[in-house]
Amino acid sequence: MYIDPQKCNGCSICIPYCPAGAISLVEAPGSKRGRVAVVDQEACLECGNCIHRGVVKCPTSAFSEDPGIWDTARAIRRFFSDPMVKHPVTSVPGRGTEEVKTNDVTGRVKRGEVGIGIEMGRPCLGTSFAEVEKVTRALAPLGIAFEECNPLTHLMDDRTRGTFPPEVKAQRVISAIIEFTAPAALLPDILRVLREVAPTLETVFSLDLISCFEPDGSLPVLSVLRELGIEPRPNAKVNLGMGRPRAVDKEVAAS
Amino acid sequence: MTHSLHRRGSSASLANDYVILVTPAVGFNDEGAPDKLREALEVVLEAGPANIGSYATGTVFAGATPEEIRKGLWEQPRVRCAFAGREQVKRVLEELKKKDLGLSVTVSGLTDEVLDLAREVGLKPHSINLSLGVWGNTAALPSEDVLEFVTMCGHGLISRYLVEKAIDLVRRGRRTPEQAARMIAPPCVCGIFNPVRAAELFRKYVPAGGREEQE
Repeated sequence: MYIDPQKCNGCSICIPYCPAGAISLVEAPGSKRGRVAVVDQEACLECGNCIHRGVVKCPTSAFSEDPGIWDTARAIRRFFSDPMVKHPVTSVPGRGTEEVKTNDVTGRVKRGEVGIGIEMGRPCLGTSFAEVEKVTRALAPLGIAFEECNPLTHLMDDRTRGTFPPEVKAQRVISAIIEFTAPAALLPDILRVLREVAPTLETVFSLDLISCFEPDGSLPVLSVLRELGIEPRPNAKVNLGMGRPRAVDKEVAAS
Repeated sequence: MTHSLHRRGSSASLANDYVILVTPAVGFNDEGAPDKLREALEVVLEAGPANIGSYATGTVFAGATPEEIRKGLWEQPRVRCAFAGREQVKRVLEELKKKDLGLSVTVSGLTDEVLDLAREVGLKPHSINLSLGVWGNTAALPSEDVLEFVTMCGHGLISRYLVEKAIDLVRRGRRTPEQAARMIAPPCVCGIFNPVRAAELFRKYVPAGGREEQE
């Protein structure tokens, strides 16, 4: 994002809205307040907060987006940081799949499987793709098939090794989600690898685990987590099974 | 992505904090979905959400009107909203069950509460997304007091600096808790930030004899 120095009146209203802390004031002799706001392009994650309607309310409409950004590697920042931008690969707004939201219909994660989401950079810190690669490279030897319907996977230059090209690794974003589905039996190994790689990170990740309820309403994965000494947070996201056609019905019909 | 999953805070502070998402599955049942979503949106609006928005329009706190959100359903076909009361959520689920729109519905909140609600309404949950917490360089994070606010926008658009400024304004008696909640609400474009919970969280910063809502 850019701030037009001719328009900016140096009021500084925008500064606290930037999640990346990328906006600061610099001296500008001759301007209204003797200062104008500027965007540190390296720090800017292109989240669009400053140009979204009704957010910053810049009194002089001084913010704009570089129209040429979409032809550069910097477009990665827009796709991954601004939820109002839809990625052309997935046709889904945001940074990942519909995960548990539509799992009753898609059957993306089935009984006997787990869905994993590793939300790199979340909360607050953001992430570079070099950090993302630390995690994907650590997971790849487990034979992980990274989620096809996730823009992050499409940025890899070698999915079997979990690597990204240099121009991608240089980009920083608010968050990027490593997603995949795996047999439930692999969960202890996945969590072991994540425990090993987590201390090597400069950033953080929030960890998601999707699992299907059994017909009796139980959740076998809870006992596995307990054995591993991991307690889920008290809040979760529950798919209430109201979607049609239900994935399980289709499975039954096909068998 | 799971922008409503990782809300921080104690169980007490997360009580009465619910996010409802109504979502068609792309490539499965999204044809004709906008009309069904419009029906779902009316159910939600009738129940009185604490917040509502869409990727296409932003939220009511950023100036979007319900009519704009209705129209926006053609571009970004999902209903997203936050509720601050259990009974309202129950009413929404009962109505959606009656309408049987065939769209997927998720509720984020305290797990036991959500499962109880499902039982009361006669729904059989299909699957769950559990939060296994934050891993990695957690020493670099702001305080839990700040995280409680910023994680109500899972997309990370509510800046820690804006929250810190709002806390400071409340501490100095320059904003009421409700005003501070409205001040930090607009960046969350999809409308799952819960301003009622935020006002409650801000209340502990009100100075003795300080400013409460006067509007």
